[in-house]
Amino acid sequence: MQDIRIEKIDLNTNQRLEVEGFLSTFNLFFDKDIEYTVVAKVKDEILGTCSYAGKVLKCFAVKEGLQGEGIASKLVTHIINQLFDRGIYESFVFTEPKNLPIFKGLNYHEVHTVEEVSLLEGGMANVKKYTERMLMNSELSAEKKAALVMNCNPFTLGHRYLIEKAAEENEEVVVFIVEENRSLFPFEMRLELVRKGTADLENVHVLAGGSYIISSTTFPSYFLRLEGERLEAYTKLDAGIFGKYIAPVFNIEKRYIGTEPYCRVTSQYNEALLQILPKQGIEIVEVDRLHVQDKAISASEIRRLIKIGDWHSIQSLVHSATYGFLRSDEAKPIIERIKRSDSPH
Amino acid sequence: MKIKAPAKAGTMESNDIYIMIQPNDEDGIIIELESIVMKQFGKQIKQVILETLESMEIKNIHVVAKDRGALDYTIRARVETAVKRAM
Repeated sequence: MQDIRIEKIDLNTNQRLEVEGFLSTFNLFFDKDIEYTVVAKVKDEILGTCSYAGKVLKCFAVKEGLQGEGIASKLVTHIINQLFDRGIYESFVFTEPKNLPIFKGLNYHEVHTVEEVSLLEGGMANVKKYTERMLMNSELSAEKKAALVMNCNPFTLGHRYLIEKAAEENEEVVVFIVEENRSLFPFEMRLELVRKGTADLENVHVLAGGSYIISSTTFPSYFLRLEGERLEAYTKLDAGIFGKYIAPVFNIEKRYIGTEPYCRVTSQYNEALLQILPKQGIEIVEVDRLHVQDKAISASEIRRLIKIGDWHSIQSLVHSATYGFLRSDEAKPIIERIKRSDSPH
Repeated sequence: MKIKAPAKAGTMESNDIYIMIQPNDEDGIIIELESIVMKQFGKQIKQVILETLESMEIKNIHVVAKDRGALDYTIRARVETAVKRAM
């Protein structure tokens, strides 16, 4: 095994087909969002491959019978070095739980495991330290809290209603805004609109959700809109991570969720929360969505209205801070994007 | 000497150690070690990393080390290389 070469694959050539062929022998598909791929070769034969998309290692396979020969560690070293040179110092792996020992042997550590999938982290990533740092920087107290997790794309009166309800029923409320920047409204903007729109509620704190709450790390299907088994696995993973790391550090005893009449992904996510968090001692409070003229308010409805330019309806459904922003010059490029987009987010 | 930027050295291969370092926001030396021989040699590996940093007069640093059974001189060489790359 001395003459193993690690080669970068040019994804725009038919080298890609070769890798796809190799992966198909493991029943693996070459994911669409892959940015970079390497293979381990002896002469012209591919013995192993590894790729990444963002911070996530993907499509990792080593030929049967050659596992344990150091091919995996060569591939992973190469990928980690690449990421490092691009300024990404942490990496994650999703894998079947039966593969856990392989990655643990490469010094990845387990974040959380559900029946179908395990999440591991490596490099400088450390979920415990990260969460503790989040709390430290937030200047929140150690008191018991209620929590909400929202994307707010953009902030509507429906969001406001849910937060208000939590604020009335609890001493302290923390709202985590999904930080992943894959929504039509950029994260900074979404965060600011929620902060403005809840500024009068003194016991409400709005925080960035960070890397472990509905991010492409904990919940890739939220952004890929995958349904079926994979979706179920990821919803359980995200819920489990919230219960295991976020809730104990922040002392969260309740999580508020809105009923979800439209989006399959979100409704399945709610189901996973209901199934998992009570087992970890966290009460779920499901609140009926705010209805205006017999229709539940949703951010996707706002985006539809933006698309058709129905500003009159929009004004009755969003907070004044959001409306002010939508009509400002700053929002123009976003509105243009919404008009051209078919994205669910 | 001062750590200016994140840097790395080493590999994840057997008998080697992968060292990642970055400036530490707070004062002091933080070493996070993971090793396949943590129980037997964890303390000693940390000691070697610490001594190497002290001999280079590094005061503030965050080190993440992934060890796969490296010998002491390998550890010293990897730490030294990472530090020099970070300056």
